[in-house]
Amino acid sequence: MPRYELALIMKAMQRAETAATLRRTVETLMERGAVVRHMENLGERLLPYKISKHNQRHTRGSYFLIDFHAAPSILPGLLDHLDRDVDVVRPTVLKKDTEVSGKTCCGHSRSTSQDTARK
Amino acid sequence: MFALRGRQSLKRAVCHPGLTSLRSPAGAQNPVPQDDHTPVKMENPYRQPEKGCVLCSTAVDFKNVQLLSQFVSPHTGRIYGRHITGLCGVKQRQVSKAIKKAISMGFMSVTHKHPQFMRDPNICNIKSIE
Repeated sequence: MPRYELALIMKAMQRAETAATLRRTVETLMERGAVVRHMENLGERLLPYKISKHNQRHTRGSYFLIDFHAAPSILPGLLDHLDRDVDVVRPTVLKKDTEVSGKTCCGHSRSTSQDTARK
Repeated sequence: MFALRGRQSLKRAVCHPGLTSLRSPAGAQNPVPQDDHTPVKMENPYRQPEKGCVLCSTAVDFKNVQLLSQFVSPHTGRIYGRHITGLCGVKQRQVSKAIKKAISMGFMSVTHKHPQFMRDPNICNIKSIE
């Protein structure tokens, strides 16, 4: 199954509410047959620009990254569900490249790695 | 006819005395001397390692906003061109795509550079604001 990454920006909430939203999201993922691999918290920070969503103007947000394996057919349904969620400001699903392309940069040979560097 | 030819060949031999050795068939009368001065095929010993661009060994990621902000104008937030950043084709395209991705996903600003990253070292060939 291809590997995806969900960059989730949620509105700034209390810890309990954030946890509840995350739990809801991951449960939705698992219901649709996705295997959640890893989750990262990138912290709560000021948004780079004010985002209007669900009749609200958001200035701050908490950033989360969810790594998961899923079938490609669930993605439209998942994005629809996340768009309807009031607590989510901006959901984005990206495909994650596992293989580094063989193209070399400036004639330097790069060792092929399994994962894209996420440090 | 033949006598004429003979005289011409004699003339040629006299006119170019230095080339008579080359005219003789290879290896027939003169064997190859020990110290042969013909060039030996080898890799260029003065070859220098290829210089890459600044990001040659780094992976470009949309999450790495600090790195991406180094290639963006602090005044307007516009992405610098190749002639300013000095990156190679592959990396310039990756950086540009990553910046646009980060902007659309809500990681990076459109019109300015994050003030936290204003003091970062200057990679590009452009004078930054003091």
